[in-house]
Order: sequence, then C-alpha cells, then structure tokens
Amino acid sequence: MFINQQVEIETLPKLSTIDLKPISGQYFKIVIFNKLIIYSLFIGLVIAGKFIVQKDFFQTNYTIIIGVVILCCLINFVLARLAFKKRKYAIRNKDVIYSKGLIVNSITTVPISRIQHIEESRSWLARQLHLATLKIFTAGESGSDLKIDGLPLEEARQINDFLSNKVNENN
Amino acid sequence: MKITDFSQPIRQSSKGIIIIFAFNAYKFFKRFFVLFIAFGVSLARKKTFASLTPQTIILIIIGVLIIILIIAILKYLNFKFYLSNDDFHLSTGILNKDNTIIPKSKIQNVYIKQNFLQQIINVVSLNIETAGDEKSEIEIKALDKATALLLKEELFTTSNIRSEEIETNANVRVFFKVSPKRLLLEGISQNHFRSFIIIASFVFGFYYEFKDYFRELKLKQRLEDFITIDGDNIVNFLIINTLFIIVAIIVSLFFSVVKTFITNYNLEVLEHNTKIEINKGLFNKLSLSLTPNRIQNLIIKTNRLKAYFGLYTLSVKQAMVQAKQQKNYKIVAMEKAQTKNLVLKIFKSYNEDVKAHKPKKYYKYILAYRALLLTCILNIPAFFLFGNKFWLINIVLVFTCFLYVTFKYRKAYYKIDEEYVTVGRGYIDTITEIFEIHKIQSIELKQNLFQKRKNIASLNIATASEETTIPYIDKTDAMLIYDYLLFKVESQDRDWM
Repeated sequence: MFINQQVEIETLPKLSTIDLKPISGQYFKIVIFNKLIIYSLFIGLVIAGKFIVQKDFFQTNYTIIIGVVILCCLINFVLARLAFKKRKYAIRNKDVIYSKGLIVNSITTVPISRIQHIEESRSWLARQLHLATLKIFTAGESGSDLKIDGLPLEEARQINDFLSNKVNENN
Repeated sequence: MKITDFSQPIRQSSKGIIIIFAFNAYKFFKRFFVLFIAFGVSLARKKTFASLTPQTIILIIIGVLIIILIIAILKYLNFKFYLSNDDFHLSTGILNKDNTIIPKSKIQNVYIKQNFLQQIINVVSLNIETAGDEKSEIEIKALDKATALLLKEELFTTSNIRSEEIETNANVRVFFKVSPKRLLLEGISQNHFRSFIIIASFVFGFYYEFKDYFRELKLKQRLEDFITIDGDNIVNFLIINTLFIIVAIIVSLFFSVVKTFITNYNLEVLEHNTKIEINKGLFNKLSLSLTPNRIQNLIIKTNRLKAYFGLYTLSVKQAMVQAKQQKNYKIVAMEKAQTKNLVLKIFKSYNEDVKAHKPKKYYKYILAYRALLLTCILNIPAFFLFGNKFWLINIVLVFTCFLYVTFKYRKAYYKIDEEYVTVGRGYIDTITEIFEIHKIQSIELKQNLFQKRKNIASLNIATASEETTIPYIDKTDAMLIYDYLLFKVESQDRDWM
C-alpha cells in the first residue's frame, strides 16, 4: 500500500547531526609506509638522474631540483596527515556514511537496501596491525561503491555482520 | 521452417553453417590483414613472398578455408538448445563440451539482430543477455524470424503468467516511426567534430600501419612540395588551410549522414501494453525491448539547430546492459511532443512543471576561470604556430569562452519533486536527465576548499547506470536535498529493479 504522507523537511534525519567516527589511528602507519615507497622512488630517480643525465642545466641546478622534490614530498606528507583526520565513517540503521578528503571533502552515503555485497580485505601490513578494509558494493557505477580503510578488525567484523544481516533481511 | 516445439534439443537453421563460416573466415582474415597486404605488396615487387610461389600460397589459403568450413559444420552440429520448465538449456563445443543453463527469470534482455549476410539468406540472430560480465551473453546466430520471435516470447513468459502475456501482445501500437527526411536532418545536425575525429584517427591509424609503403610512394615529399610553393605567403597558407577545413567539413558531414542512416534506418518505436520495443538498422537490423522497471535514467538531448528542426534524441539507460549495447537504446529524431509522451509512458507520474533551481552564480565564475586558464595555455602553441600575430586567436578564444560560460550556466538547473529528479546541463547540446528517486544507489556531497569558503557544494547522485551531478549549489540546500533523497529511498522500501 502506498501512503503519501506529507514530508516535513525540518523533521527529516539530518546529515549534519551525525557523529562521524574517525578510523583507527593505526592505519596512518600503512599510509606512511605507502607514501615512503613512492617518495623513495621519486628521490631515487632524481639521484640516479645525477649519474645518467649529462645536460649542464640539470647538473648545475642539481641541489635545487632535489630540494624541490624533497619539499614536494614533505608538503604531500603534511597534507596526507591533515587529510587522514578527515577520514570518518558512521553506520546508521538504514545507511552507511563515509567522509574523506581535505582539499576536496566528500561525504558518501549508501542505503543498506542498495548494497549488493560486502567484502572484507586485509593486506599483509593490515594483518600485522589488526586492521581491515571494508568494501561495500552497490549496483551503481563503480564510483558509487564505498571503501572504508583502516577499521579495527573487531569492528569491521561487527559492521560486516550487521550489514550482511540487514541485507539478507531485505531480500 | 518454423519450429514451434522448444522442449526437444534443436539445432539452429542449417543456414547457420554459412553464418558461422563467414564469421570465422572474416575473423581470420581480419587478424592477418596486415600480412595479406604485405604479401600483396611484396608479390607485386618480387613475385615471391617468403620464398613461396603464389600457387602454394593460394593452396594454403584454400586449405585454411576448408578447415574453417569443417570447424563451422562441427560447431553447427554441436550447437543445441531447448527449453524445459523455466530454464533455457544450451550445449556447445566441439571438443570441450559446454552446458549452459539459464533460468528464465535471470534473463535480462533478449534482442533480435540481423546483419547484412543474415539479411541476404533471411535468418536472424537471437541474443540472450543475463546480468553479469560480458561473457555471459549467448548468441544463436541463425534462426528464421518466426522461430526467433516465438522463442523470444517463450523466454519472456514464465509458466505462471503465460496466458496473461499472450493477451497483451495483441495490443501493438506504432508509437513513433522515423521518416527519411527527419533522418537526413538528424544526420546534418550531428556533431561533425566527432565524425571528423573518427575519420582522422582512422586515416592516421591506416597511415601508421603502412608507413613503410607510403614512404616508398614519396607521399610526404610530394605533399611538402605542394604546401611550400609559397610558404612565406600568409594568404596562400590561409587559402590552403580553408580549403582543407572545407573538405574536412564536407567529408565529416557526409560521414555523419551516412552513419545516421545506417544505424537508424527504419527506426520505429512500438508500444505493447507493458513493454516498449525499438526496431532499427539497415545492415544490422536490431530489435530491442525495454522493460520499464529496469530503466534507470532517461536522457533527452538536443541542440540549438536540432531544436529548430524539432529533433530530440532520447537515450534510455538500463541497469545491467553492457556498454556496447547501451548506445543502441537511443531513439533519434523525435518531435518534442513525442519525447514527452514517451517519458510519460516510461515514468508514469512525471511532471515537468516543478520549480527549477539554478546553481549559484559562483559556478559561472569557476567556469570562466577554467575557460580562461585553458585560453592562456592555448596561447603557447599559438605563439609557435603563428609567430607574433598569435594574440589574434585570443579574440576567437575569448568569444568562445564567453559563449561557453553563458550557455553552460543558462542550461544548468535541477528540479526535484516527490518521485523524480531532473537535471539540466550542456553547452552546445541541451541535455535533460531524469531519474526516479527510489532508484538511487548512492549519494555523495562534494566540497573543495574554495567552495567551503563560499558555503557551496556539489551533489553526485548515482543510479545503477549513470552518475548525475548537481553542481555548485548552496550547502544548506545540498544538505536538505541529501537528507530528503535518503529519506525517500530508505523509507519507501521499493526495489530499484
């Protein structure tokens, strides 16, 4: 039966009143690890360049070039640290919310009734730190899938169970 | 011969051998196309190829063709299908036997196709699409049309609703049929730039493949001679360029018109009681059916020229349809009223007269900044191309930027009512996207640092086939919409498919 009740916009559950929960601080270690690999790759390339590239311009300004690369890495690192604090999530009775990003902040919500399946994945590092990543898939475009990194393992399991139960109920 | 009993394993029409043979031979020759060209060229020059005489090579080719024919016959003999209860069974494979069973309820789409060869020998192919990846598609390559139609009907009717369904099929109404004149107009008013890019990439690709042979023809030198007759003279340079542009436009125009005719020849939209059917195509005849509950987004497109001719294109985006097939669900050259009627047919309670809201003025500034940045960047190559006169192109560029910003902003709006979201956008094209609120899969609110200072945000709303953006609206409005849409989705408990 279809009931067409009037909607009072003011009384709707509000996004702004939700307490979003930060992800585990442990996960920052994984972020650092991944970043370090990329930084060392870049800096390594520049160092290797000193022995390979024969151009005068490159050789005379070498200190400046390597300085700029290191500075870029440092800025990137600071931004990553600040952005890390923005990674937050919340599970409501009817939907899952995930928010991230410092320069471009986004809040994504997936209604539980639209979830197709849930995947829990753990990299080697995450296993050492007792963390897990939850991937929530919808039928939508690939962009509409939700990925929550760095959840404490125990919590990830609980969320997974809770959502799975809800999804199965709906079917 | 019309087959009416699908309960016993049957083969496709024996003409299928020809189709399978032609298809495999085509695939084979396409793969070794370059080799054949090389063979032809070296034969013309040295009378031999890889120390083989022409006779041997012809024998080899004939041998290969015979092998392909044998494979085709074996494939035909081993291709059997039948219906039992509510399942479709298919067994294929010469050495590796494959048995596929598809429950009727899992069939997403059945469409009938007829390519040029199939038209000649008067058979059609029937494609069965299921949800899932691209490999899950089944194609029966040769059936006579009556059998195919019957099988299609059988596949769509599960045993319990059979009687009902047959009744409704009696009620077929031609909703829309395109006239050649409208198709011609549609072809002319297409985006020729796209056609030009297709032709250009084809020519370059061809040139790249046969670079060596072209080099022998000394084409480049001749071309250079031709261009540098009076290289210093800017007038000459301009004339040659204008000529080139005119030729390019004419070729693109011709290409667009021919392409439109080939893909949309005899386009018609049929209306059954529950389903809508699209038929079209000249060489590749297609018959597609739309099921309203699978439709996710409707996109109406027109541009200034097309609107003047009264030409509107409606694309229907369905869930679980492959990208390749997706572009076929497009109905071109409709009149405005017809588009409206079709939208109403699919979205029953759609109402156009809802208050439209516009993005914030700030959106205009951002568009202007972006366009001007691009203009600045474009000045660099212009400097190298035209020397000191480079600033002249800025007159054109700034004018284009101005038009871009004005039109893009003018065409952007959004409407939200009880059941539907409508979003308008476009620069050259005028695009209207419509979708039902209960088919939303996820909502994202996006805000960058600059937007944050102005309290502005963008919304991305995804359905199962499309992501729609409502750009640069007031953040409080965005939050309200966010909450409202979520409430609608979560409180209704309606299925998205």
